[in-house]
Amino acid sequence: MQMWVYIVRRTLLLIPIIIGVMTITFILISALPTGLRCVSYFPIPRSGDIGPTGPCPGNPTQSNCPNPWWTHCVSVLGLNNPVPLQWATYMYNSLTFNWGTVNLNSYLSTHTEYTFMGGEPVTSALAQVLPYTLELATISLLLILVVSIPLGNLSAANRNRPIDQASRVMSFSGYALAPFLLGSLLLMAFVILIGASNGWHSLTCAASPTYLEFYHSWPANQCFPGGNPPSWLANNIVSSPTGFPTVDAAYHGQWAIAADTLIRLILPAFVIAYGSIAGLLRYVRNSMLEVMNLDFVRTARAKGVPEAIVINRHAGRNSLNVTITVLGLTFATFISGFPVTETVFGLTGVGRLLALSINIPFDYGIVFGSVLLFTYLVVAANIIVDVLYAYLDPRVRLG
Amino acid sequence: MESTLTATTEETTATTPGRGRRPNPHVAQFLRTFYYLRRNGLAMFGLGVIIALILIALYALTLPIPTQSLAFYCSTNGASTCVPGTPICTYPQGVTAPGPNCYQTPVAGGVSFFPSIIPPTFDLSHFSGGPLPLGSLTIDPSHNAFFNLYDGMLRGSDWSLIISLSIVLTGAAIGAIVGAVAGTFGGLIDEVLMRLVDIFLSIPAILFVIVIIAVLQVSPVFGTFDARIGLLVIGFVVVWWPFYARIVRGQVLVVREQKYVEAARACGAGRGRIILRHILPNSVYPVFIQVSLDVGTIPLFVGTLVFLGFAVIPTSVGSGIFPEWGSITAVAVTPLIGLLTTCQFGQCIIPWWQFFFPGFALFMFAISVNFLSDGLRDALDPRLRR
Repeated sequence: MQMWVYIVRRTLLLIPIIIGVMTITFILISALPTGLRCVSYFPIPRSGDIGPTGPCPGNPTQSNCPNPWWTHCVSVLGLNNPVPLQWATYMYNSLTFNWGTVNLNSYLSTHTEYTFMGGEPVTSALAQVLPYTLELATISLLLILVVSIPLGNLSAANRNRPIDQASRVMSFSGYALAPFLLGSLLLMAFVILIGASNGWHSLTCAASPTYLEFYHSWPANQCFPGGNPPSWLANNIVSSPTGFPTVDAAYHGQWAIAADTLIRLILPAFVIAYGSIAGLLRYVRNSMLEVMNLDFVRTARAKGVPEAIVINRHAGRNSLNVTITVLGLTFATFISGFPVTETVFGLTGVGRLLALSINIPFDYGIVFGSVLLFTYLVVAANIIVDVLYAYLDPRVRLG
Repeated sequence: MESTLTATTEETTATTPGRGRRPNPHVAQFLRTFYYLRRNGLAMFGLGVIIALILIALYALTLPIPTQSLAFYCSTNGASTCVPGTPICTYPQGVTAPGPNCYQTPVAGGVSFFPSIIPPTFDLSHFSGGPLPLGSLTIDPSHNAFFNLYDGMLRGSDWSLIISLSIVLTGAAIGAIVGAVAGTFGGLIDEVLMRLVDIFLSIPAILFVIVIIAVLQVSPVFGTFDARIGLLVIGFVVVWWPFYARIVRGQVLVVREQKYVEAARACGAGRGRIILRHILPNSVYPVFIQVSLDVGTIPLFVGTLVFLGFAVIPTSVGSGIFPEWGSITAVAVTPLIGLLTTCQFGQCIIPWWQFFFPGFALFMFAISVNFLSDGLRDALDPRLRR
């Protein structure tokens, strides 16, 4: 089978999954009362009436006339239609990225950092903060690969020696430490132990989604040691062509800002990666142990190949398949770390948006929107992993 | 060498017929598993911690601690909004102590400091009502109401165990049934059920729980305390069963090709008997291990939910903290992060005991369960025995 045939076939398998996920969200959203559904789809009218009836236009003393906002919502969402038709409407809306509107009265829109989002479409609100999450995800994925593969190889090569035991304990602690606890502990450790003298205090001051307010929104006395902002902050970045903070800063030639943003992302990326590293480490170790018993490894050793090359080239490359599969499987867990970590470190990503939207009063548009978005990310990552797997192991696409 | 020798002798005593009567094979199997488990130090450590925690949970059931929100301790230092509870004597700096067992409100940089903290005391005579041996947790913005961490951790052992066991056992039961049906019947049923599992698994777990709880909590059915806990359990069960279904199905596919299943079929055993007596009992070991892993994970997830802002006990139902390790930790940690951003360099006093004690209990529980289930995996899988 050609590679592209494999990719197309694998992508087509997505369709039932996406339909299924949307059906689940449809079932859940249908369980909401009509009022809450309408609030998450249409901006609240100026009069503030969100009930089925409201004051009559001609006679303000009476309040039993149909609310035009309500009737509009019911007719557009088809809430009086039979359920299959409602489902079709929901599917159409979701597929055309009509995911609703950010509720003006929700906790999220009243939060000082997010007031500008009130009344915006959910998709544009999510699109504004998605690059930040993607950047964080990229860094933590890199961190996972950079840490878990060499460490797994190392502990397989030194089976039952102290380094193996240490990595085993690390793996266990990764399962047992909640990300919110680990993140807070690390933050406190950095800020309190080495923060005051070395400027790590600024870790809790994270970047805003747009560069116009980037850095300048921070209270200088809290975010910079001694209350003095660095000199390069005087340079404003006026446009953000990609939305990715680091890329934008680099695009404008502001290398200091780019480096600073990257440094701020390392600790959160580590917190997100830690759980996945714990999971992956064991699989890498076990698959290495299996591969190292195979004949070709023995042959390589017999013909005098140095041990480091045997482990890294011969055995390591062959155990990579398992690593990649497991990475794909743990991707959903990996994504689950974002709401917490972004909340702990105050990062302006999709996860933090979701975390704020589940505070009373809820913002159902963002809740459902971010669940759909994260699910698509997981599904897309799974496809990439499958394709990568087929590329690494031709038996998958040929067999 | 010595260990292998003992292994053989012990194994022989466990499996070979004793004097006269052949031991029950289940008992023999259990003894053999326990023998291998006993050689694993970490697993025994985990088992010890878990047994201790279960004993603590049983002890906590006998104590007069409220099961819902906890008794507050009110500061006598201008407590106007405090919910009635055991009063605690506090006094600001610069004033002489009004009496014994009175605690000074810490001050940093000349300002009365947030949160007004009562440090842990080593005076253990106050275990059940007085000043708090494990420190306290400020729970209202006016810093006048305190949460007794000691009570919270005792009651938390109950709730953590009950919630995680009920979620995991229900999820595993549903998953085992679905997985066994899919694995044994095969064909279209298998295809449909497994696609369903794929769909459920592609939604990240914590987000799925959040969205389910966010939708269902609107309903007036979930207005009482018990119903809120039920809601939490329902949310997790809906998300958790597909993991077990996938594991059981994979195992069933392997087991149903085994010779003993074929032999049973040749003897004329019916489909139901084969599933219940032969396939399921031989497919549950991986589920058993996954169950034991997840029991430790659930409290972490509950804590995560609370940390993200979901109120297990909203103010409309009652006031206070849901006394569960995960949520106490989350409640204790949340203001500390804000504290780091607002306090000036070098002026922070971190009330570490507020999150350390419940967080440590949480960590110990999760890691012990992990040690134990890892040991169980080794003990139950003959290939891994060394």
